[in-house]
Amino acid sequence: MARKITYQQAINEALDQEMARDPSVIVMGEDNAGGEGSPGEMDAWGGVLGVTKGLYHKHPGRVLDTPISESGFIGAAIGAACNGLRPVAELMFVDFMGVCFDQIFNQAAKFKYMFGGKAETPVVIRTMYGAGFRAAAQHSQCLYSLFTHIPGLKVAIPSNPYDAKGLLIQSIRDNDPVIFMEHKVLYTMEGDVPEESYSVPFGEAAVVREGDDVTIVALGRMVSFAQDAAQALQKNGIHCEIIDPRTTSPLDEDTILESVEKTGRLVVVDESNPRCSMASDIAGLVAQKAFGALKAPIEQVTAPHVPPPFSDALEDLYIPNAAKIESAVSKIREYG
Amino acid sequence: MSDTLNRERLLRAYRTMRTIREFEERVHTEFATGDIPGFVHLYAGEEASATGVCMHLRGDDYIASTHRGHGHCIAKGVDPVGMMAEIWGKSTGSCKGKGGSMHIADLSKGMLGANGIVGGGGPLICGTALAAKMKNDKTVGVCFFGDGASNQGTILEAMNLATVWSLPAIFVAENNGYAETTSSSWSVACDNIADRASAFGMPGVIVDGFDFFAVHEAAGEAVRRAREGGGPTLIEVKVSRYYGHFEGDQQTYRAAGEVQKLRDEKDCLLQFRRRVTADGDITDAELGTIDAEVLALIDDSVVRAKADPKPGPDDLLTDVYVSY
Amino acid sequence: MVKSGGITVGVIANPASGRDIRRLTAKASVFSMSEKANMVQRLLGPLGTFAVDRVLMMPDATGIAAAVLRAVQANEAQGRTVWPRVEFVTQELVGGAVDSQTAARLMQDAGAKLIVVLGGDGTHRVVAAAVPDMPLATLSTGTNNVFPDWREATVTGIATALYVTGSVGADIALQRNKRLCVQLGERTETALVDVCVTRLTHVGARAIWEPDTIAELYVAFAEPDAIGLSSIAAMFQLIARDEPRGAYLRCAPNGRQVLAAIAPGVLERIVVDHFENMVPGVTYPVRTKRGSIALDGEREIEFHHGQVPQISLMLNGPPTLNVTATLAAAVNSGVMVDPVVRSVVR
Repeated sequence: MARKITYQQAINEALDQEMARDPSVIVMGEDNAGGEGSPGEMDAWGGVLGVTKGLYHKHPGRVLDTPISESGFIGAAIGAACNGLRPVAELMFVDFMGVCFDQIFNQAAKFKYMFGGKAETPVVIRTMYGAGFRAAAQHSQCLYSLFTHIPGLKVAIPSNPYDAKGLLIQSIRDNDPVIFMEHKVLYTMEGDVPEESYSVPFGEAAVVREGDDVTIVALGRMVSFAQDAAQALQKNGIHCEIIDPRTTSPLDEDTILESVEKTGRLVVVDESNPRCSMASDIAGLVAQKAFGALKAPIEQVTAPHVPPPFSDALEDLYIPNAAKIESAVSKIREYG
Repeated sequence: MSDTLNRERLLRAYRTMRTIREFEERVHTEFATGDIPGFVHLYAGEEASATGVCMHLRGDDYIASTHRGHGHCIAKGVDPVGMMAEIWGKSTGSCKGKGGSMHIADLSKGMLGANGIVGGGGPLICGTALAAKMKNDKTVGVCFFGDGASNQGTILEAMNLATVWSLPAIFVAENNGYAETTSSSWSVACDNIADRASAFGMPGVIVDGFDFFAVHEAAGEAVRRAREGGGPTLIEVKVSRYYGHFEGDQQTYRAAGEVQKLRDEKDCLLQFRRRVTADGDITDAELGTIDAEVLALIDDSVVRAKADPKPGPDDLLTDVYVSY
Repeated sequence: MVKSGGITVGVIANPASGRDIRRLTAKASVFSMSEKANMVQRLLGPLGTFAVDRVLMMPDATGIAAAVLRAVQANEAQGRTVWPRVEFVTQELVGGAVDSQTAARLMQDAGAKLIVVLGGDGTHRVVAAAVPDMPLATLSTGTNNVFPDWREATVTGIATALYVTGSVGADIALQRNKRLCVQLGERTETALVDVCVTRLTHVGARAIWEPDTIAELYVAFAEPDAIGLSSIAAMFQLIARDEPRGAYLRCAPNGRQVLAAIAPGVLERIVVDHFENMVPGVTYPVRTKRGSIALDGEREIEFHHGQVPQISLMLNGPPTLNVTATLAAAVNSGVMVDPVVRSVVR
């Protein structure tokens, strides 16, 4: 039965249900138990923003605190996955991938291929991303395109509570390494989420809204901005179709291409920086495979090619928003 | 004394060390013909280390290895015939020709891979050891790494994590004196890698890596301690490599005659033979039989590696994901 | 290296001491390289102040010499204390005990009046074997530290200076030790504390920590507070360092039992069925048919069927500096009040 819970609660519920179902699932990360070795109570935090709170006491011995040692414990999660566990490791902020990326892209991602198919690494790396918290340059990036670039990794980017639960359950049950991207601003977003366990398959985009005039492909937090923009454009008689890929690896190319075949126009909305981004990747895909259907140039709405700034005055300019999406749609509507 | 070295075990130790040596010497000569592609790093000279440690391991214990990984593979039971084919890039290789010398692995044998990233194995072994501890299956994990890796953050993080989580892990630092061309006496600030153990709250010991008996005894204690729940240990094996960093390395950074002197005076196989035959328990003839059998095995592996097919175009795209 | 270097003291800091398997089996202590280098620096101050001209050090590839060299340069730059001139003997490092022995001989040739040894029983044993009549000031940085002093290096530095500059004579400052001699064919080895015949056929990781591997034990002296194998003998009978006798013990299942601290952290039951005094100069043949022999706690020699190692006790062991007696004599003779020292530059 569905009821309204937050994105954060949906993630916690997915972890809880999977831990109850499968004893090989463990959770680890900085402060994930929260308070190991400290004089006060355990489970004080449940991760820096409380996503794992409550699991420590429900699943004794299976929620582990780690030292601040990302290479060490992300690598340990990968090693444990090779030896029969299904670890869900929390890389607090995705910006910290810089101190552990080797273990992710040179080890976990490559074991299966490098070892001739004879290795499985069912590890999930949950990580927070995105701007909006005034957390500045080293705590606000997206970076999912870097993971998407690597063969061997899967990348899930839920945009709402329902997908957060379903995609995380799928990630845990998946036998390949999965990077699970959680937008920190979305943690408080509420939505209908079934109580029972379910999974959302990888590589199946959601058509969030149907329309014939313009295709908007949006990722993560950008999906709700796209919905706001589409709502406003509707009043002007412009009908947008919004596609949420939900996973960037694998990427549901067919749903995107079919939509562009129908609309002939594409706006890609991506919170990350523009170069070598999901926006440029999807734009390239459509230019190559649906060129004949295009009636206008492809528009990309992204952050500018600058690091995420601190001051709210600057950060608000940095993050794409509904108005920017509206103007991009309007621009390509006017073309031709 | 853990794992007393009876006749059977002594002969097995010799066979393993001889197999590694023969394998590496052969790869050295074959590489010179230009037949073997890519980068190859040879373990010759260090045989007593892999052998002395791995003789204490069960099939389901894990090891993580290095770019110089052939010896660890053989000592952990990976098939040398498959390894040779892998080094030749053949579809019959341990990794279907997709890994090569630097990535030979066999998880069914507890061999978590040679590793092209210096220091890559430390965190991974913490993971296998964490799983072992959670499953309570009494297995252990051994991370082999070199003097170069001893300066990598991953290894230091892994040693810290191993103590924090009290993992059944053993860190074996094979200090062969050189990280590529750079001397460990220059690059390792505290010089003895074993000294770093105390900073991570674990015992650190130094053993002579040319002496199988020394490695075997120290490793036996460390493995026993880990299996019994006593936590991690760091063993620094002081050793040397007989060949360059990789094949083709002219080794002009080494002293003249350095390797020959080691081969003449300290070589682990010569030393082993002298010591086990001194009492007549094991005869030269018995060891000679092993030599001949190993030679035949390696001959055969090379003949097969040369004749075996390469992977086909379809193989390029497989084995990336379990499902995609 | 020349003899005309003024009053010269040698310093050998063994980089390998305190690193063997007993760190693993017995929580034995670890002396870091930097602590060994610090100890050398704590020696240099008093040596310089009490007018020692030159210190000869053993080079090493493990950072002790490098750290001392940096400290010497820093000390000169700061000009705070007068240190002796620090020089390194010229030798090719081959690793292992040979390096300490080569260094000791070079220091003797260069006119050193005394060598300060930083190490455990093993280091002192090899240095004493190389330069049998050289006075040694002993400092523990090893594992089984029965022979060397457990003492602050600064104090040893003062006593060393008083002896080498002639303020206290050899008759008071030095004491003669015993030694145990092991003969196996052409090979002769020396131990300063104990010789243990083990049932272990291989030298392996060298240390001894399991009691049932011990077959026979020969000790030069047996002190009540000793650590290591000599403590077994001490539980039966005490033998002082200057007594002209030693002891021989055999282990067998039906003897008398003692609890002895045979290694740091290892208190074990040892069953001994035979105990007798060793007479100096008499040769004792080993009865065990096959095994290995540990010198001062470290297995060094493997012997086989048909080989009979011979053990004997000798009274001509190395002369060592008696720090307490030296300092007491200096105090009693008044040289410690208004002492003649080199001025400290400020």
